[in-house]
Amino acid sequence: MLMTAVRAFLILLYAVFVGFMFMGIIRIVTARIHRRVGPPIYQPILDTIKLLSKKSNITHGLIYDFGIIYALGATILALMFIPIGGVSILRAYGDLILITFLLEIPMLGIMFAAMSSGNPWAGLGAQRALLTLLAIQVPLGFAIVALAEFYGTFSTYEIVMAQQTMGWSITHMPLLLVAIAYDLVLQAMFGKEPFDIMIAPGEISLGPMVEFGGKHMGILQIQHAIALFAETLFFANIFLGGAVVTAFTSPILNTIASLAILLVKQIAVLMIAIFVGAIFPRFTIDQAARFYWKWPTILAAAGAILAAL
Amino acid sequence: MEEIDFKVAPESKIKKRPSYIKPWLGLKYLFKKPVTIKIPYEKTQIAKNYRGFHSLDWKKCIGCNFCGQICPARAIEMTWIEVDGKVEKRPHPKIDYGRCTFCEFCVDVCPTGALGFVENFMLTTEWKDEELELFDWVPIHPDKLREINEKFPDYRFPVGKIEFNKETKEVTYYLRDGDVFKFKILGYGVRPPAAAKPKPAAPKAEEAKKVKKPEEKKGQKSEENSS
Repeated sequence: MLMTAVRAFLILLYAVFVGFMFMGIIRIVTARIHRRVGPPIYQPILDTIKLLSKKSNITHGLIYDFGIIYALGATILALMFIPIGGVSILRAYGDLILITFLLEIPMLGIMFAAMSSGNPWAGLGAQRALLTLLAIQVPLGFAIVALAEFYGTFSTYEIVMAQQTMGWSITHMPLLLVAIAYDLVLQAMFGKEPFDIMIAPGEISLGPMVEFGGKHMGILQIQHAIALFAETLFFANIFLGGAVVTAFTSPILNTIASLAILLVKQIAVLMIAIFVGAIFPRFTIDQAARFYWKWPTILAAAGAILAAL
Repeated sequence: MEEIDFKVAPESKIKKRPSYIKPWLGLKYLFKKPVTIKIPYEKTQIAKNYRGFHSLDWKKCIGCNFCGQICPARAIEMTWIEVDGKVEKRPHPKIDYGRCTFCEFCVDVCPTGALGFVENFMLTTEWKDEELELFDWVPIHPDKLREINEKFPDYRFPVGKIEFNKETKEVTYYLRDGDVFKFKILGYGVRPPAAAKPKPAAPKAEEAKKVKKPEEKKGQKSEENSS
């Protein structure tokens, strides 16, 4: 019991740290694409420390505080279900549907908090976020169906194990289509550029985040870091073959090796998201919904049909 | 009336087809060197004759107040000055950088070429009153400015600190290379103040006057303001 708690804590610590590094990488790579130097990689950590050490905190009531905690909790819970190499704690129960929906719940938590603030910008952002959430369900659902159909199981860990013998998911034609669709969906889940309508800096002044400040924003930064880690990890697990290394005799070496391999795959997923985010302008909300119900849905549905044949 | 042909580019030549592929060309700068000047570590090259802070040759200035008249921001006020116990015969311009727009019209209009400018442009202070004194100065000699610029080529204001003693009206410039430059402000405006009228024949009389000075100055200032 105690060991499990310690392990959960270590996973959380690792996820937060790597998530913040990811945020730093996003800023640096975006800067390099713009031919800027960009901040140091640890800049998001400094930002978060600054936010958490603000003296004044504005609150608009219980739900306003609770929504943030709810978002953070849901992200951490999602993280616990995803197998991280060989060290996850709840991987036996981590099925695709559960993780997919736990990864979307944080958005709902932020919505709660934003709506209770009473700011019209936040309300506007919340509406857009909910519509985006609705739009990505369709390709996401087809993606899960295709995966479950192909591997005959919903368990993420079993899918990872199956890829150890059968090769990565993206090497199979139906799952490649699904992976492309999922990657487009990932763009909205990260809140990156073509589909960052719900945040929309400059257009609706940060949308749901407009009213947050101080510790609320700090916790949201941490939540965003963990969410980045969890979403890239989930993608790497189900499409890029995860990592279960058994080459070494020592279990510690095995763990480190699998974490390193996973990290490389996660960064690869992240890079695509950054590139797409840096070169494409923002969609309006109706364009985004139409896009998600068109191309990713067609791709994912084709993948699901091919997988079922 | 003859017909005029306007050349209008056809729309088919201007309009481009949207593409999902072409934006990826934007990634070509990813591995190129960033075009950034890392300011604290690298220096910027300032253009020659960049319009910066002023310099004033006190020997050349004849106190004609042309600069004060042309200044669009009214940042220039003539000042009567006493250096080393000797009253300057003519008033010198005192420039308020809180208002100055750095158009350098004053330099162009100066008939004797006493006012000049250097390329320095950096002047940053905190909110404290004693630091804000820096923004209000009688410019110093151009040679001295150049000398400081050679020592500190960072385009900062050549004076580190200006102290203004309200009772004795004594101004002290602590220049950046360590020199101290002191003078007294006897009064403002084009007309000479009472303290400046008698030529400093006897230093004793000068000293006796110093005690009375504050009231005199106040009286005169209010006169000038009201007029």
